[in-house]
Amino acid sequence: MNIKKYEKIKSSVIIFIITIITISIFSKLYLLAVVGILTGILFFSIVRFKTDINIDEREQEIKEKAANITYAIFVPTISIGSFLLLVPSLSKLSVFFKGEFIFTETLGVIFAYLTLFLITVYTISYFFLNRKFGGKSDEK
Amino acid sequence: MKNKLKVFRIIKNLTQEQLADKLNVSRQTVIAIESGKYLPSLGLAFKIATFFKVNIENIFIYNQQEE
Repeated sequence: MNIKKYEKIKSSVIIFIITIITISIFSKLYLLAVVGILTGILFFSIVRFKTDINIDEREQEIKEKAANITYAIFVPTISIGSFLLLVPSLSKLSVFFKGEFIFTETLGVIFAYLTLFLITVYTISYFFLNRKFGGKSDEK
Repeated sequence: MKNKLKVFRIIKNLTQEQLADKLNVSRQTVIAIESGKYLPSLGLAFKIATFFKVNIENIFIYNQQEE
């Protein structure tokens, strides 16, 4: 990764976090704002801001493993979350809000779409990377 | 897998930082290889062996029982 690409990614993440914090403050979603600020602090404290960016193979492997762990945690969490939000709203069980299911259902649908999107992206990228790195046999 | 990277580095009178620069990797990678916490790729292993002008098995010792 060269410094230009690194700066672009860093700027995108910063803009995204600032936007989320701004929107959440204007929408009075203070919990989201706090989470955004904490994520920003975490990002700034962990991501290196050195001028010489040298991503070697060890760092690449760490990134791959971190991405794998993120996927392995995020997908089950979001999918279970979508079930927990959708099932009570469909069965009219009062789990989250008494008599008010519309928000939990909407959130459940968003979570379900998010899970499906992640699984699709993972599957497609796995398929193409498997082909790129010679997973397909050329024996006749 | 054991390795003698530290021994070879000391013989050449190099610091971890200097060796990292020569191999075009980070200092943390050199530290991780020396302590046996990270197994380098075949490419990097060859690069290390070429740098010290020895065979790859002189630096990296394969231990079948550990695998």
